[in-house]
Amino acid sequence: MSANVNVNLLTPEFILAGMGLLVLSLDLVLPKARRGILPWIGVAGLIAAVATALIYRWDRVEELYGGVFIADRYSLFFFAFLVILGGAVMIASVDYVKQHIKFPGEYYGILIFSILGMVLMASAGELLTAYIAMELLSFSLYVLVALRKYDSKSNESAAKYILLGAFSSAIMLYGISMVWGVTGTTFYDGIAAHLTANPDLDIGLIVGLSLIVAGLGFKVAAVPFHMWAPDVYEGAPTPVTAYLAIGSKAAAFALILRLFSEGLLPAIEDWRVLIATLAAATMVLGNLVAIRQENIKRMLAYSSIGQVGYLLLGVASLGVVDAGGAVVFSERASTGIMVHLVGYAVANLAAFLVVAVVYSRTGSDQISDYRGLAKKSPYLSLVLSVALFSLAGLPFFAGFVTKFYLFTAGAEAGFLWLSGLAMVASLVSLYYYLRVIQRAYVDQPSEGDEETAVERSTFFVPLTSWLMLGVLFVGMILIGVWPTELAAAADSASDALGTVRDVSTALVR
Amino acid sequence: MVEDYFRQYGLITVFAAIAMVVPISMLLMSWMATKIKVRPRRPTPVKLETYECGYGPVGGQWTFNARYYTFALLFVIFDVETVFLYPWASEFGVLSAQFGVFALLEVAVFGVILGIGWGYAWRKRALEWR
Repeated sequence: MSANVNVNLLTPEFILAGMGLLVLSLDLVLPKARRGILPWIGVAGLIAAVATALIYRWDRVEELYGGVFIADRYSLFFFAFLVILGGAVMIASVDYVKQHIKFPGEYYGILIFSILGMVLMASAGELLTAYIAMELLSFSLYVLVALRKYDSKSNESAAKYILLGAFSSAIMLYGISMVWGVTGTTFYDGIAAHLTANPDLDIGLIVGLSLIVAGLGFKVAAVPFHMWAPDVYEGAPTPVTAYLAIGSKAAAFALILRLFSEGLLPAIEDWRVLIATLAAATMVLGNLVAIRQENIKRMLAYSSIGQVGYLLLGVASLGVVDAGGAVVFSERASTGIMVHLVGYAVANLAAFLVVAVVYSRTGSDQISDYRGLAKKSPYLSLVLSVALFSLAGLPFFAGFVTKFYLFTAGAEAGFLWLSGLAMVASLVSLYYYLRVIQRAYVDQPSEGDEETAVERSTFFVPLTSWLMLGVLFVGMILIGVWPTELAAAADSASDALGTVRDVSTALVR
Repeated sequence: MVEDYFRQYGLITVFAAIAMVVPISMLLMSWMATKIKVRPRRPTPVKLETYECGYGPVGGQWTFNARYYTFALLFVIFDVETVFLYPWASEFGVLSAQFGVFALLEVAVFGVILGIGWGYAWRKRALEWR
């Protein structure tokens, strides 16, 4: 390793790590009454990190440590997206943490560490680095899920999560070792070079890649590796559930997107059908099982499994085989995935934030308890309806545009049946989203009905949550009506993925 | 190609088969010895003790204090620090010639991070035996 490694390039990551330590140690010295400022210090640090990254890395394409860490437009896009997302989750959880969680310092400190893990997953150019970044994220999440220490449900879901998470990490690590054994490298471009040179896949490589897909499938909760998700989502503190459903999935897809487009693209013929099958199973099962859920967190868990199916559809269509038989990277698909991730994150965070506020007032997560929400709090039920409409993909809201990008890319790559299936699945999803909205707006108590938890409670929305919901509401409408800027940013990020791949293939020749 | 790959596991299969056969045949022989009255079965209370020729267990169950676990973890903090500091110290001449003051600062950063962990444990009263 050469001495002239440009460590300054990592300044934004250092800021994140320093902020995590700062928040954690401030919690030790601040008196209990002053701990309310911790999240705002954290948010200020996150803003500083994003600003530094944007200013410092705007037009730089560089590799650190011989390609272990890649700084390009793609990393930058995900850095900005994931850190802003983490900050939004942080602000969204202020009221919840104040009320339900006894360890604010740990909560916010570990949240910042997990954000660091997420951004490293997006910029890793090598399997082991990506794995370690993923472990940083996972370990933080294990602790966050268990943070309601005296709540047995939180404990149960944390136990399930850590056991299955460790299991899936081990599977993925085994897959990485198999890939290393066959190709002799863990670098994405090295794997791509090996695949280009040896078009016939070695059986060890097939096993290794399947294990990696299985490990990543666990992390994003794709069918058939989804069984942990509803239980863990149900028991975790609600803002953490939102974070699990959005942050860890977005980061895992950042990793998947780079791995599959820079590393595994030459072998696309061998894995596209596998991924497409996973996508089909995921979107069908996630959306069908969601119909039967009575608990809104479980319903959103299954709906987010369904969303993973749509994203996997994008992954399956990452490459198009042209007339000459060469594999061409499909920028549309990767743009579609990124845009959909953003739209899904905004809508899902809004939905979970409403659930968190309702839980704080009523102590209930049952869908049946949502009757009367429109009367008690028109604002909450408006944001909830818009969020659910957006998740279902109705026009004028974020979900429609982002799904349009994604499904078009799928159809172009030859997965017309899958895109059709995704549309049918979206229609199915509209049914169970509408059930919640019907509960909130239409249902009236009939004779002899007991009052629901919502109707019993006095309702007010705390200021922080109110403002955050407003921001997310505007975001959903804005992405839905005027997605150009977002799509342009995602486009230039996809460009970066394509470019690096060209460089690596040039090196092989 | 595929055959080669699986042939490598042939040896393991043989070992696995032997590992299965040996204990099963031992149990089988013991069972047959009982059947043909070579090994009669006449249990007595003394024979059925946990340690037939030793002392019987004394006293109730003994619970292991969970606090040892915290202490072990805290020990690991410094254990790991030593593991990293030793090679750094022995190569410090080379490192400082190449990187200058940075070689010292780098380890200071490492020490500060561990120090925060230590301070956290101290502050959360993990060091007190309550």
